Amino acid sequence: MSENVQSGKFVFEQGQVPPGQTVLYHEHLKLTDKSHMAVFAGYLMPLWYSSISAEHRAVRQAAGAFDCTHMGVFETAGPDAAAFLNIVTTNEINNLKAGRAQYSYILDAEGNVLDDIIVYRRSEDKFMVVVNAANEGKIKAYFQGLLNNEVVIDTSRPGMKLKCRPVIRDVKEPAAGADRRVDIAVQGPVSMEALFAAGTDAASKKSIEQLGRFELTDAVVGGIDCIVARTGYTGAEMGFELFVHPGKAVRLWRTILERGKPAGVLPCGLGARDSLRIEAGLPLYGHELASEYNISPIEAGYGWAVKLEKKFFIGKAAMVQAAESCIMKQARIEMPGAAGVRPIRQNDAVLNKEGECVGWVLSCAKADDRQMAIAYVGKDKIKVADTVGIYYLARNERQIRQGRRKIVGRGQKLAADITGKVLSRFERF
Amino acid sequence: MVVEGLFYTQEHEWVKIEGPVGVVGITDYAQDSLGEITFVELPAAGQVVKAKDEIAVVESSKAASDVYAPVGGKVVAVNSLLQLQPELINHSCYEDGWICRMEITDSRATGNLMDAKQYEEYVKGLS
Repeated sequence: MSENVQSGKFVFEQGQVPPGQTVLYHEHLKLTDKSHMAVFAGYLMPLWYSSISAEHRAVRQAAGAFDCTHMGVFETAGPDAAAFLNIVTTNEINNLKAGRAQYSYILDAEGNVLDDIIVYRRSEDKFMVVVNAANEGKIKAYFQGLLNNEVVIDTSRPGMKLKCRPVIRDVKEPAAGADRRVDIAVQGPVSMEALFAAGTDAASKKSIEQLGRFELTDAVVGGIDCIVARTGYTGAEMGFELFVHPGKAVRLWRTILERGKPAGVLPCGLGARDSLRIEAGLPLYGHELASEYNISPIEAGYGWAVKLEKKFFIGKAAMVQAAESCIMKQARIEMPGAAGVRPIRQNDAVLNKEGECVGWVLSCAKADDRQMAIAYVGKDKIKVADTVGIYYLARNERQIRQGRRKIVGRGQKLAADITGKVLSRFERF
Repeated sequence: MVVEGLFYTQEHEWVKIEGPVGVVGITDYAQDSLGEITFVELPAAGQVVKAKDEIAVVESSKAASDVYAPVGGKVVAVNSLLQLQPELINHSCYEDGWICRMEITDSRATGNLMDAKQYEEYVKGLS
């Protein structure tokens, strides 16, 4: 029995390992100082190259390139692959045509979110599943536990076994040979031109041009075989993820940056990646999903990706329950952010017009003169265009001594430190 | 970047001794690690502090960092310009981005601090 399963329940503890380097690590050191690198999901990654605001702006006005080669990439193949994914993920695989991608979730039998993922259907019985870098080890162990029939998949029927036997490969690993793939994202209004500038033959150019959002194709970019998908994590209407062999990733990265430079393509770090996804309202696992608040996809605003009408998926009973008893939602809010305004932070209290705490900040970021946040709030407590306030939690011991609170509960009345307004839940650019 | 003639702490503050007064700020290493600084909470003029007491908070969009007094004494002036232009610390951490001036109570106060050469070595050991 695998160490990640305790009497049928899947448990996973991330071991402590020294930080790894992505295949683009040495490229980053040429583009930014080592002091701008930080450990993220076990990898030393750039926080920024030029500055977070410049990189954020580049993606909104031109395009940005992101090292996403740390993300987990699994291939699920064979006659059982679709059936397997339909049990293991919350969305409906039968709605997913070859050449299309689908946002989805992997839950455990109790409904805990193990990860949010994108499933790419490359052909009838070949899928690529892209998972968060921070959850890669966990998902790999979970898949293994499922294939070994060690994990309980339905708490009300502990004897129920998974019968499908797909072939699952970690395609980041050397064992995948020529099929190895890692992710480089190019996002923003000129991203398609940037791919063309990198060099595409007529057929590749045509198939890239024809891609709709959440569609994918095989294409040659800069002389390199890629899986090109119109997906991303920036809210940009036009944006791509290029899945490339790790041995060719450096060449692709350099080509995109060099040839895209005249069009304004900038390399972008984790800082801009975060501010862009917050501005767009997109969730980050551990903040808007799961996290200390144990947030379900339904509360996060993604009920559409949890198909309760499916006969079965792992975690379904808990999701039915979550949909019935849901009292919280997420809201995107905007606050002033000019120089001299104290930045809002995770867990700061969100107040309605009357000064009542209705929830908390999950993520926040600054873009130019405004701050944006995704907040976790009472479902009926605030709506779009409402005025909302923020109460800053104490940042240090001195502020606590001066009477500032360290924790605020819903329903408490407080004076707002700054006020702003509620935006639409999502925004596209 | 490290400036000769200043004294440094392990928490990346600097103090410049001008007779009985010490000018206090954060180092280039500190401002660089914080990124774009968007807010500075200044001490109150007249406040009396011991060495290593929190005297200010410097915040960027990614982190809030406490600034500790490198020496004990009384805050006699603060750089109010930082309230409107916190980015001065990014652009000029050793000059225009100073945080406060303190009347130093202990004349041997710099004894526990690093000089420029020692601090430069210390920073090298961090990355």
